[in-house]
Amino acid sequence: MHGLHGCIAPNHNRSYLRTGLDCTPYKIIYRDSIIPTTSNYVLLHASRKTFSNVKVSISAQWTPSVQNVSLSPGETWEDNHLFADENQATLFLGALDSIFLFSYAVGLYLSGVIGDRVNLRYVLCVGLCGSAAVEFVFGTLTEWLHIYNIYLYCGLWVLNGLLQSAVWPCVVAVMGNWFGKTGRGFIFGLWSACASVGNILGAFLASSVLKYGYEYAFLVTSVVQFAGGVVVFFGLLTSPKETGLNPVETDTDSHRPLMSDEENEVEVEVYGRRYQSVQQPDEPLVEPPRAIGFCQAFCLPGVLPYSLAYACLKLVNYSFFFWLPFYLSNNYGWKEAEADRLSVWYDVGGIIGGTVQGLISDFMGKRAPVLAISLALAMGALVGYSNSPNDKVINAALLATTGFFIGGPSNMISSAISADLGRQEALRGSQEALATVTGIVDGTGSIGAAGGQYLVSLIESKLGWMCVFYFFVVMTGGSIVFITPLLFKEVRAMWRDRQALHRQL
Amino acid sequence: MKAGCSQLKPVVLVLIFNVCFYASYQVTELQVCELCGGTILNDTTVGKFCSSSAGRVDGRCCWTNDNTSDPEHIIGLDLSNCSLTHVEDLQAASRALMIDLSLNPIVNVSDSAFQGFTELNYMILPQDIFCPGGNTSWEKVEVKEGNRLCEGQKDTCNQTGQLSINCPENSLCAPYGPGFFECSCADNYHGYKCLREGEFPALQVFGPLGASTVVIAILLWVTQRRKAKSH
Repeated sequence: MHGLHGCIAPNHNRSYLRTGLDCTPYKIIYRDSIIPTTSNYVLLHASRKTFSNVKVSISAQWTPSVQNVSLSPGETWEDNHLFADENQATLFLGALDSIFLFSYAVGLYLSGVIGDRVNLRYVLCVGLCGSAAVEFVFGTLTEWLHIYNIYLYCGLWVLNGLLQSAVWPCVVAVMGNWFGKTGRGFIFGLWSACASVGNILGAFLASSVLKYGYEYAFLVTSVVQFAGGVVVFFGLLTSPKETGLNPVETDTDSHRPLMSDEENEVEVEVYGRRYQSVQQPDEPLVEPPRAIGFCQAFCLPGVLPYSLAYACLKLVNYSFFFWLPFYLSNNYGWKEAEADRLSVWYDVGGIIGGTVQGLISDFMGKRAPVLAISLALAMGALVGYSNSPNDKVINAALLATTGFFIGGPSNMISSAISADLGRQEALRGSQEALATVTGIVDGTGSIGAAGGQYLVSLIESKLGWMCVFYFFVVMTGGSIVFITPLLFKEVRAMWRDRQALHRQL
Repeated sequence: MKAGCSQLKPVVLVLIFNVCFYASYQVTELQVCELCGGTILNDTTVGKFCSSSAGRVDGRCCWTNDNTSDPEHIIGLDLSNCSLTHVEDLQAASRALMIDLSLNPIVNVSDSAFQGFTELNYMILPQDIFCPGGNTSWEKVEVKEGNRLCEGQKDTCNQTGQLSINCPENSLCAPYGPGFFECSCADNYHGYKCLREGEFPALQVFGPLGASTVVIAILLWVTQRRKAKSH
């Protein structure tokens, strides 16, 4: 059966075909449900990137000017003493990054659980608008009122991490509701490239209003994000069920889980038919699906290994996000603006990598082999990049390659694989686990990333940049180790398919 | 709407600030003029200067007496024979062209006493007190009849031979009294450390943004959620 997947086009074509039978404007709804969810995640990442991009301005605002002679007038040059110099301000900004990632990780565990129980639309809306409001207070209001306080900043950033964490699991759950498994790899790959698109958009937004003051960079991104939340509230359909259409689950093919063994197939078909009958448009729901417990979700097959693999991978990925411009200007002596511009190539590589690898995994019907090969190549790319010559073109090319092999798998685990895991047959489909599982995978990844930010700065100061890259190589190797059991399982299944096919012929 | 608040808030703050500031300003101006008794005599240096520039004498001060455009301010200050030992706060007379501190037993002049006295051009001090900002800050320094005369304040920013004064990015050096300079924001720059350029075009940004949000929200509502079944 799996061998045949190669000829199946991504799911959306088939959804459209099915539309003809339903006589409903399925296509319009289908397309429009992507736009709000997609734009949300773009906006979220744009606002996150804003903070990275205004760091220089913010630390200038927090410190008095460092000059041999004191400058007058004092209110222009000397008045702000939150930190004595910019080094301390930079340290604090790094600490804010870690605080954000930790609270984001904790929030991911929580919000997934909430998302499976409360209407996804409300959770999404609260997450987006709430975090927009917090960013407005953090960046704009404190500046207008001239309140500079470390504890206030920390508290607000913890809150921001918690609110932002509500968005990702819910967005994945909504997308999972709308798309079947076979198309997931490609759609999710393309779509989780939103993170990278958001980074680029954020860099553009921030740089275009930064000259009016950093508070306006925060103001613009938070207002745009708030508007996104409002649009979600009015426009988002969290699943086809809401319109009375048949949910995607009725497509038995989409229900075939990642770790399926052939024996279960009959059961799936049976279940699929039963589910379809329950979900008939005009019948009221007898019993809403029961949400899965947190520990139960953790014990689902594949969740733990993928979470750990993602922890290693997200560490490397986010280290690039936070440290790349700094590394480029530090190691090669390039100007900060040039370094910022060059670092975009990593995101570009990530977008292409996520999409292409998602597409390949859709055609294969397996994800783990694609991941393993890409990660193995990523180790080589990291070694290559660490030895890059002082040339911007070569550096950009190597950077895009590294992004392709690291950003690609990272995007795939966080979206497509999370959706696979949350819809696997061990759940019997009766339990809503999608948001919870996504939260666990992404949360574990974020803990890895948060710890990594500290480790990178530590290794860099003690042993130098070369060791940081060896650390990345080791971490990438670690994520290969964690997916090895799944790899063996999937390769064995593929081998069995091949054999079965031969025997039939 | 948020932007509207941002425009309004500073205006109110500035208003309150000004009210407080000017109230205290008036008081100190009077205090300077009455630092000691008597008025400016016509035959003193400040007195001659005041009558030649048609000023109004009030106590020890000589005020401008003409323009309606410019608020009235002190142009001359004669504190000679005033028993001053310390010279600290004369900021009320910061636009004075001429200050006479002769015949005072001055022991200490605070470093920043004449900061901001950009127009000061002629000073008479006791012989043992140095000109503020040092001799390099004045065109001509001479000792005459037991007094030290400091004439012609030099521009601190354009001095050659001294260590060059580099104002940070986006700011320009401007003279700020004898030996002092200030870095004021260059054209179009403002705010802390002159980091901000121009005014944020709130209407151009938030107008289209708000309008498109409303349009998209309504569009999506009509095409999507209207059909949604409430659970």
